[in-house]
Amino acid sequence: MTATAVDHGPAESGGHAEHKSHDRTYVITAIGLAIITFAETATYLWPKVPVWDWGDGVGITVSLLVMMAVKFFFVGAVFMHLKFDNKLLATTFVAGIVLAIGVYLAVLFAFRFFSAGTHMV
Amino acid sequence: MASVTVAEAHGHADHAHETNTGISNNKLAMWLFLGSECLLFGGLITTYLVYKTPLPGQKGPKEVFDIGFTSVSSFVLLMSSLTMVLGHSAIERGDHYRTRLWLTATASLGAVFLSGQIYEFTAFVKEGMGYTSSRFSSAFYTLTGFHGVHVTVGIIMLVSLILLSIRGKLPTERAETVEIVGLYWHFVDIVWVLIFAVVYLIPVGAPV
Repeated sequence: MTATAVDHGPAESGGHAEHKSHDRTYVITAIGLAIITFAETATYLWPKVPVWDWGDGVGITVSLLVMMAVKFFFVGAVFMHLKFDNKLLATTFVAGIVLAIGVYLAVLFAFRFFSAGTHMV
Repeated sequence: MASVTVAEAHGHADHAHETNTGISNNKLAMWLFLGSECLLFGGLITTYLVYKTPLPGQKGPKEVFDIGFTSVSSFVLLMSSLTMVLGHSAIERGDHYRTRLWLTATASLGAVFLSGQIYEFTAFVKEGMGYTSSRFSSAFYTLTGFHGVHVTVGIIMLVSLILLSIRGKLPTERAETVEIVGLYWHFVDIVWVLIFAVVYLIPVGAPV
C-alpha cells in the first residue's frame, strides 16, 4: 500500500463525523454564495426592483457593496477557516485589508474620486 | 538548521516544529503574503477606479462588458472554492482518492475561468479595445490580467499537488500543504468577488 491509498488514521473514529459536518457547512455556504452571486447579477438584469432601485443608482451601488462584503466574509470565515483558526491569522489578514483600505481611500480622496463624479481627473 | 535536525530526529520532517505562536510558520507566512497581496490588488483596483471613465470617443465599461458571461465565470470560480475546501477536507480524513478528485475539479474549474478570461480579452481586442487604446482599457487589462496570472499560478500549484498525490508523496501528514495552497486559491476567489462587483457590476449598473 502506498501513501495514495486511503489511510484510516485517527480521523476515522471521532473525526469522520466532524469532517462530514464541516463538508455540509461548506456546501451550504457555497449555495448561499451562489444565491448572492445571482442577486448581484439580478441588479444588472432587473435594475428596477424596488430593493435596489432608489437614490438615482445609489441603491444598486450600496446593494452590490453589501453583497460583495457578505461574500468576502463567508469565503474568508468558512472556506479559509478564519472562523475556526487561530485569531492571529485573522488579525494578520485583517491588518492587510485595513491598511489597504486606508491607503487607497486616501488616494481616492486625493484624486477627488468621490466628488468629481464622471468628471474624473 | 538545528530545528530541522530535531524535527527529523523525531521523525516529523514534514511537520512544522513547535513555534511561539502555536501556528505553523508556513501557514503564518502564507497569511502574511495574502495580507500583502491586499495592498497589491488594492492598488490595481484603485487605479482602475481613477481611470475607469473613458475620454470622449473612447469605449468604456458600459459599451464592452458582457455581464451575463462574466456572471457565469464568477460562479465557476466561486464553485472552485467549494471543491478546493472539499479537497482539503478529504486529505484531512485520509481519503486520497477524493483529494485528487476535488483538486482536479478545482484545477479544471480554474482553467474554465481562465479560458473565459482569454475569450473575453480576445473579444474586447476584436472590438478595438487594445491594451493601450485608453486609460480605462490599460487599467482594466492590468487588473484582470494580474488576477489571471494569480489563477494560473494557482492551477500550477494544484496540478503539482495532484502529481505529488499520484506519486504517493502527499500523505495525510502533509494535509497542511493542501490547506496552504487552498488559502491562496480562496484568496484569488475573494479578489474576484471584489473585481466582479467593483469593476463589472457597479460601473455598468450605477454611477459611482
